[in-house]
Amino acid sequence: MKKPRVGIFKLTSCDGCQLSILNMEDELLSIIDLFDIAYFREATDRPLKGEFDISLVEGSISTDWQKKEIINIRWRSRTLITIGACATSGGLQALRNWSSLEGYKKYVYQSPEAINALSTSTPISDHVYVDYELWGCPISTHALSETLVSLILDRKPVIRKYSVCMDCKKKGIPCLLVSKGEPCLGPITLTGCGAICPSLEKPCYGCFGPKENGNIESLLRMFKNMGITQQECIMLLDKMNTYTYRKVRIEQSS
Amino acid sequence: MNKVVKIDYLSRVEGEGGITIKIKDGKIESLKLDIFEAPRFFESFLKGRYYTDVIDFVARICGICPVAYQMSAVHAIEKIFGIEPEKPIKDLRRLMYCGEWIESHALHMYMLQGPDFYGLESAWAGREYLEIAKTGLRFKKLGNQILGILGGRPIHPVSVRAGGFYKVPDKKTLLALMPQLEQAYEESLKSIKWAAGLPFNNNIMDMEYISLSHESEYPMNYGSVASNSGLNIQMEEFLKYFQEYQVEHSTSLHAGIKKDTSVSSYMVGPIARLNLNYDRLPEEIKTAVSESGISLPIKNTHLGIFARAVEIAYAFLTSMSIIKDYEKPDRPFIGADPCAGEAVWITEAPRGMLIHRYNLDSKGYVKDCTIIPPTSQNLSHIEKDIYNFIQHNLDKPADFIKKESEKIIRSYDPCISCSVHLVILKG
Ligand code: SF4
Ligand code: SF4
Ligand code: SF4
Repeated sequence: MKKPRVGIFKLTSCDGCQLSILNMEDELLSIIDLFDIAYFREATDRPLKGEFDISLVEGSISTDWQKKEIINIRWRSRTLITIGACATSGGLQALRNWSSLEGYKKYVYQSPEAINALSTSTPISDHVYVDYELWGCPISTHALSETLVSLILDRKPVIRKYSVCMDCKKKGIPCLLVSKGEPCLGPITLTGCGAICPSLEKPCYGCFGPKENGNIESLLRMFKNMGITQQECIMLLDKMNTYTYRKVRIEQSS
Repeated sequence: MNKVVKIDYLSRVEGEGGITIKIKDGKIESLKLDIFEAPRFFESFLKGRYYTDVIDFVARICGICPVAYQMSAVHAIEKIFGIEPEKPIKDLRRLMYCGEWIESHALHMYMLQGPDFYGLESAWAGREYLEIAKTGLRFKKLGNQILGILGGRPIHPVSVRAGGFYKVPDKKTLLALMPQLEQAYEESLKSIKWAAGLPFNNNIMDMEYISLSHESEYPMNYGSVASNSGLNIQMEEFLKYFQEYQVEHSTSLHAGIKKDTSVSSYMVGPIARLNLNYDRLPEEIKTAVSESGISLPIKNTHLGIFARAVEIAYAFLTSMSIIKDYEKPDRPFIGADPCAGEAVWITEAPRGMLIHRYNLDSKGYVKDCTIIPPTSQNLSHIEKDIYNFIQHNLDKPADFIKKESEKIIRSYDPCISCSVHLVILKG
């Protein structure tokens, strides 16, 4: 069987999700055996050529050229998978969507006119059709290998859809929200990490993004009853998945 | 003879950049590192955020060295609040930094720079090299395991907070790492020899380099700022000496250090650290260095891989000694009330000094901040380095100049994702 050609692409991001691939130390050698890594700028010199059976895209769309770039990548790809909060949800940099870009630029750069950036950072799915979305900042390597293996076996990847709370229950982690009154986003956040934060006694800050049908409004009401201000509630949602939490919240209220 | 050497998109580096070199009438007319990584405006959206968010947010500047960002930030915040963590906490943070140095250095040595010395396009492009790369993967995995235990996960760990950690591990959990650490340490001593024997270019030059320097330890989280030309100042003074400036042969903004009336480029990173802090290394590492046949100070940046090998061995050894001495503290953190203030803190990221400055209001919200990553500081030095190399190789074919320039850039392990903070982007 011909090995599937894989391309790994980077847009606006921190490289962390691509690094997750290299961090699968034990699986890396089998990945190299099973797949032809035809494009992966961070790890190989191979130039961008031809078409890809699978494209993994890290990063959000935040410049003009990236809008063209993603269309080019889509044309070349049979299956396009977004990896991580940046690509799937706009990332932390999407916080600029709710501010003025000019102010942002002036603050960081001496010559803001030289900066070529869009006023928004948006997920890939706002621009092209996406076959599979992997959540997390960074992604879980488990979900990534499950997806890759499924594609080889030609079956649908099993990605769980429940909340972080379920992981706490399974692992017997005492609930920070109930027992300590800490503002934990676990009830509205998608599983994938295995409740990393609660297991270290830190409230979940939503890096895996909203779970389907999680009731954001009712959790925020609970936070308000605990004495958290409206402004603080918004800041709790305004992190690496700000774009999606805000979007889902609007959808839920309409 | 006129030629233009252009690399559109550098490979085996973090982030997106290229280089353009124009040679005219036997002289270098211009040389420019092009950075086209898209900016993310961290300093802007940190404004108005609560101090606890800062630690989660700044990690996202770089997936390869998130701990460094968390360390510079948490120490600056603690300084503003007037708290100093207890010894076991300091030790655990140092252990965490060891994990990151190991993970980041191993990635660079074996996956990114290593293939250059074997004429390969990637770490998996040759059967023979794959065996060498496996050593790197073992190191990297162990570095990541340390981060996993202390931080919950290797990329963007979640456990660091002002005053300490959310939760600290039991001694037993850490002790379980010992057998692997011992084995990896032995292997890392051999890898110093391997690195020392690689075919380096002969691009020797005079350079100014800067790193933290501490009276009793090889620097990570503490120390003053020192250089090989006599600079020795406190962290908080550093921004007074630091300056951005314009140079003739390049259009990107450069970072330099002020000296009397002039400004000059400088280098940060493993070579700077090793050259300036060799005395602080334990005897057995010193012996490994002297037996390697490489003499210090290193004057050729191509030897970055050697300095990294030494630091990996050091990090394994230090990890073992921290774990042996560790006693779990009664409390994982000391509490503090937010207060207004401003502080600068510098720590040694895998790639060199990482400078953070925060100004907080009385409730603990960020009024403004400055973040200067190591690669921003090195960009100017990288250009100078390539300039120096080409100067001595003007008659060589364009393809040779291109390949060798790319290797010089790579030996700095530049992290362009981080560096977009300081440079002007091309249109
Ligand atoms: S999702 Fe998070 S880890 Fe992944 S690239 Fe974006 S910032 Fe980095
Ligand atoms: S700690 Fe958070 S994630 Fe865990 S059960 Fe409670 S609310 Fe859910
Ligand atoms: S608990 Fe929440 S914030 Fe923490 S890693 Fe999991 S999803 Fe991310």
